[in-house]
Amino acid sequence: MISKHDLERLNEFVWQVPREYRADMRVPARMWADEELLDDALQDKSVEQLINTATLPGIVKYAIAMPDIHQGYGAPVGGVFATNTKDGVISPGAVGYDINCGVRVLASHAHAQEIQPHLGDLATTLYRNCPSGVGVSGSINLYGDDLDDILNRGADWTLERGYARMEDLPHTEEYGRIPYADAAMVSHKAKERGRDQLGTLGAGNHFIEVDRISAIYDADAARVLGLFENQVVVQIHCGSRGLGHQVCQDYVDQFQRVVKEYNIVLPDRELVAAPFHSPEGQAYVGAMGAAANFAFANRQVLAFHIRRSFAEVLKGHVKDFDLHQVYDIAHNMAKVEEHDVDGAMMQVLVHRKGATRAFGPNSPVLPDDLKEIGQPVLIPGSMGTMSFILCGTQGSMAQTFGSSCHGAGRVWSRHRAKKEIRGEKLRAEMQERGIQVRAGSMSGLAEEAPQAYKDVSRVVQAVDAAGIGKMVAKLEPMAVIKG
Amino acid sequence: MNRYEEIDHTADWAFRAYGNDLKELFENAAYALFALEGALDAQSTLTREIHVAGIDREALLVNWLSELLFLQETKRETYQKFEIEKLSETELSATVHGAQTQPLTKFIKAVTYHDLRIEQTEKEWQATVVVDV
Repeated sequence: MISKHDLERLNEFVWQVPREYRADMRVPARMWADEELLDDALQDKSVEQLINTATLPGIVKYAIAMPDIHQGYGAPVGGVFATNTKDGVISPGAVGYDINCGVRVLASHAHAQEIQPHLGDLATTLYRNCPSGVGVSGSINLYGDDLDDILNRGADWTLERGYARMEDLPHTEEYGRIPYADAAMVSHKAKERGRDQLGTLGAGNHFIEVDRISAIYDADAARVLGLFENQVVVQIHCGSRGLGHQVCQDYVDQFQRVVKEYNIVLPDRELVAAPFHSPEGQAYVGAMGAAANFAFANRQVLAFHIRRSFAEVLKGHVKDFDLHQVYDIAHNMAKVEEHDVDGAMMQVLVHRKGATRAFGPNSPVLPDDLKEIGQPVLIPGSMGTMSFILCGTQGSMAQTFGSSCHGAGRVWSRHRAKKEIRGEKLRAEMQERGIQVRAGSMSGLAEEAPQAYKDVSRVVQAVDAAGIGKMVAKLEPMAVIKG
Repeated sequence: MNRYEEIDHTADWAFRAYGNDLKELFENAAYALFALEGALDAQSTLTREIHVAGIDREALLVNWLSELLFLQETKRETYQKFEIEKLSETELSATVHGAQTQPLTKFIKAVTYHDLRIEQTEKEWQATVVVDV
């Protein structure tokens, strides 16, 4: 197994696995981390999985690990790499099963103390109005071509049906609609799984959280985003549900054959890939885009239910409870982008698995009001601890294909967390600290215990210090809603 | 012989299933899937016939387990008894027994190829599987 001696330290926060480390590497691998986070990453198979991505045909510059890297399957979670669109590959397993899993932050204009007396009611109402768990139907009935329409048009469909406000869309990555999405590339099985799941949270590490802003680090960016100290905000963390899982499953299976036809040799079957411009590669691009649109629509419908819940509980009691959208980001996606590779701009396919796009100021893809500060980067921490809002930087553009971290990153297995933590005790501890908890499963709660994760503040501090993101605000939980 | 054991994995779940022959191995891998979800306690009130194909033995195992997850989610059923009737290198036919289920709070998103191994030891067959949760 790889050790620290195999790494070159390029600066305080960047460590390199040289290309010569393994014969099948096409480029070096670089890890962004402080020394303690690096030690965490070296404990499991994260780095081996990172090195595996460095063998993919057409990969450029270097494979990247974020400070929150942990072991996954295929590519590590917290992994970023870019392939040349001319002769490089696309890998469904390196995007992951939960296509466009992501985070949305909504912000009220109310202070925490105004909401506090109603917090219990609010948590209960959110839990009731936002369906969670598995095999739970969404609150939205889809008819006829509705599902195909959602897959092709994402947030535009939700706007048309009254689930979105016009101003939500520019504050969503890709405006909530992947233009190259193609519902025809999504299997019947995937559609069957998704048909009754719109507006559902799912289970696992997905959640809705009511937070208060406990610190502002960048007053100018906070002003642009409408954030202030002690403000009540809401985070949503979820993705494309069973529909996205089935899309990934379908193409990972299909590519097991394809990879042989194109003579692509890989160290891990989960990394199966097809040339980006091949018919098979393009079919997956269309299907991935469609699953991503489903995820954008899913978070939008959940946002609608959250706004409705706030109104139900707070109307007549609290002024300014209404929620505006701060931003919505994807952290499992592959996207065609232009980046500087060896001094020249090149069109590349950036795979981000458990990593967030973090475009710097003046990026042409950002709406005008966000151009001065860069793209908001939303980083949920482990349950019951803290979360952060950052902005993208020129440093992320230059170093990491415009990418940043996505969360705290696990250090304990779920098995260990279940053995060592009791869900009931964890809930009681959170409730003692004034955090309202509504959860369907106590063992599910235990698996997500904060002890099972790295310290998210350490992760974002490393990101900030390395210049691949800039800290704007810190969020602390008031209520947690989980499947 | 245990039917399966759970293996440590940082983010997801992994297990090793055992069997005296390949049929039993595939049956026990399916059992492990539902045992990990805590979804085994249902009475058997319904049966389903399942046919899947794959390019090789490993793909067949992934597709067999994936089909069960697909049925679980879309039919809202859980299964506890698995009978593999036909098994070749690339095709499988089985009957599974289970019941309608309440919504689950824990579930497996997908079965992966990562570190997937099917091997025969002196004593038995073993399969190592990593699943995404």
